[in-house]
Amino acid sequence: MKRRQGWLFFIIFLLTLSVYLLINYPLQLGLDLQGGSQLTLQIIKEEGKVTRDELEAVNSVIDKRVNNLGVSESNLQTLGGDQLILELPGEQNPLVASRVLGKTALLEFRTQKEGTSTDLKNLQLQRLSIKELIEQYSIEEKNQNNDNYFKVIQDDLIDIEQELNYSSTSNDLYGKLIEIKKYVDKEITNLFIKTDLSGKDLINAGRRQEQTNSNWEVLLTFSNSGGEKFAEITKSIAGTNQLLAIILDGESISEASVGNQFASTGITGGSATISGNFSAENARELEVQLKGGSLPLPIEIVETNTIGALLGSKNILKSLYAAISGLIFVGIFMIFNYRILGFVSVLSLVLYGFFNLALYSLIPVTLTLPGISGLILSIGMAVDANILIFERIREELYDGNTLSRSIDSGFQRANSSIVDGHITTLLSCFVLFLLGTNFVKGFAATLGIGVLISLFTSLNCSKTILRFFTTYQSLRQKNLYLPKNNFSN
Amino acid sequence: MKYNLELIKNKRKIFSFSTFLILLSLLGILYSTFNTSYKKPINLGMDFVGGNELRIERVCEEECSNLSPDSVLENLREISSNKNFINNIKLQFQNNNKLISIRTPYLSIEESNNLITNLDNIIGPLNYESKDSRLIGPKLGKRLLTNCVTSLLVSLFAISLYITIRFDKKYALFALLALFHDLLIVFGIFSWLGILLSVEVNSLFAVSLLTIAGYSVNDTVVIFDRIRENLKSKEEGYNETIQLSVNESFRRTTFTSITTLIPLLSIILFGSYSLFWFSLSLSLGIIVGSYSSILLAPSLLLKD
Repeated sequence: MKRRQGWLFFIIFLLTLSVYLLINYPLQLGLDLQGGSQLTLQIIKEEGKVTRDELEAVNSVIDKRVNNLGVSESNLQTLGGDQLILELPGEQNPLVASRVLGKTALLEFRTQKEGTSTDLKNLQLQRLSIKELIEQYSIEEKNQNNDNYFKVIQDDLIDIEQELNYSSTSNDLYGKLIEIKKYVDKEITNLFIKTDLSGKDLINAGRRQEQTNSNWEVLLTFSNSGGEKFAEITKSIAGTNQLLAIILDGESISEASVGNQFASTGITGGSATISGNFSAENARELEVQLKGGSLPLPIEIVETNTIGALLGSKNILKSLYAAISGLIFVGIFMIFNYRILGFVSVLSLVLYGFFNLALYSLIPVTLTLPGISGLILSIGMAVDANILIFERIREELYDGNTLSRSIDSGFQRANSSIVDGHITTLLSCFVLFLLGTNFVKGFAATLGIGVLISLFTSLNCSKTILRFFTTYQSLRQKNLYLPKNNFSN
Repeated sequence: MKYNLELIKNKRKIFSFSTFLILLSLLGILYSTFNTSYKKPINLGMDFVGGNELRIERVCEEECSNLSPDSVLENLREISSNKNFINNIKLQFQNNNKLISIRTPYLSIEESNNLITNLDNIIGPLNYESKDSRLIGPKLGKRLLTNCVTSLLVSLFAISLYITIRFDKKYALFALLALFHDLLIVFGIFSWLGILLSVEVNSLFAVSLLTIAGYSVNDTVVIFDRIRENLKSKEEGYNETIQLSVNESFRRTTFTSITTLIPLLSIILFGSYSLFWFSLSLSLGIIVGSYSSILLAPSLLLKD
């Protein structure tokens, strides 16, 4: 009896602790419950597996970019060795994030090959016209103009293709425009020779509005060695008709000449500006990318989930209804069939609920919709053990044993098959947790935790509560444990 | 209350019933593989093939006006630049025309935003707070599918291993037979649902199969435990002892199934729509699982 009382105090202590935890450390809600966006980024590697170092490197670059974007409360984590998951809570548009994160942002400085001036001038002209066509295309699209307008663009495009001696293979007009632009960019890049100065030599990036017009420019600050390299490079082409190109992800964003006055020392001071007709937004995106450094491997956004805040709160409400109605009906079923024993199992179910939620806030487990369904499902599994025990107790009572003996042997004899049965469910949860996606992990976690806790509540807690009840004389009548009409033999 | 299931007498009926269910499932799987547009044993959803799913509510003053999906698509075609993908759009109105649900092939975030803007122009205003949008690239889909199949195989292997170690061979074999019977039937039901109602399965379906596996074995284990225990102590014949053990555990098994079905039913009735098919397949699995644990698995143990 002493030992049981010890358990009773222990359970009351745990309950108080759980309530304390839940009040002080609120549950973390997943995006499907609070609204927000989730992006899955896949690291692309042509050959071999992504190593741990590469994953770390990509992770740190993305992390810097996200921080520089000024997204509040974002959460970045790695998944399965070659994926990253970025969560943006609230009503933040994933579009900007996806544009900034998806680029490799490999910055190169190249010098022009000698004797290519005419080729370059020609290509620069073509680039200008193709850019204009693309702009025109989006204007026509916005105004929802009819096909005649697009026909004009189509004709201009054919002229450019003839000029370049290149024909595009894309099916639709927009695809063709983009394809030609890429081709021109590649041709321009090919006129320049690589130098040893790159994005790695930057220590900072910034932006400011140009004084003469409303365009923006991006400022680069080099490290000491980077500054020296820059001076060296500019010195080598100063006063010649060779240009310096700044190339981002294979596309030249700026080509500039270096004046004769730099012929002796090169451009010193360790900084440079890129002025390539940036809008404020573009300049900011480039700044963020350069500050974060270039990605060691390219990434692709393979999944985007967006849930509105209203839908999230609706989901919480619906889950609450489902959980509470589930609990109530299970309770009614148990009390109807097992009387006092049923009531005991309802009490241990309530304890079960509190312990579960407290553990979620302690570990912490982020609650998602599948997670909640795991929790609700585990309610049913938690009473499973109780039913096994109660059935044994009933049998013992039918056989004419005393109440206290029946309870003891009921708990004892059901023990092994309860543990056995739960192991298979735990096995499934374990596999799901190891191999599953984020979405699935939530379910596996809550169901697994639930099964473990239910072993404690349905074995220990219900026994303790039942022991406590039977210390009262009035609660010791057999007909409170068995329906009367069945109690004849 | 004592139960008296005549297992021995009805052995043949039980076997025929299970065979019938299995054949029906296999038929569904075969039909689905060869005679449907998707040519797969089951109608794979967006999680596995990639695509874009969008659900968003309209803002209406009182009742939302009735719109035909075809006319909305026609309008969309007129103002969208990429005419190609409009042909592959599935568009539905639900909840008294309030909720729009759209499926398209994979779109980038930018394209998806454009689609929503275009929709807003046609049938707006839309309530952006109620938006539920999922974009899954085809690469990820393939990967998810392999992931799910691996999970299923690994956990089936783990469960089989555990059962073989825990019980002797005969029991283990029959418990596993019952398990595969349950999984096959649930899979078959969803094959048919795919054929008849174009219901798709997503990664949560794989999760439900895994959960059913754990649960179904659990049920069978409890009954086999009882049989083993009774075979040691009771003096009646082998077949009679099995029948008695089943009757003794009948209440337990049906009751635990009921207490598991109740919460699932509340999810089906009150829960979020994204959990509807998941809860349904779990419920089906539990019903089939209880049947096989109570009637099929013990009948397999009976001697002629």
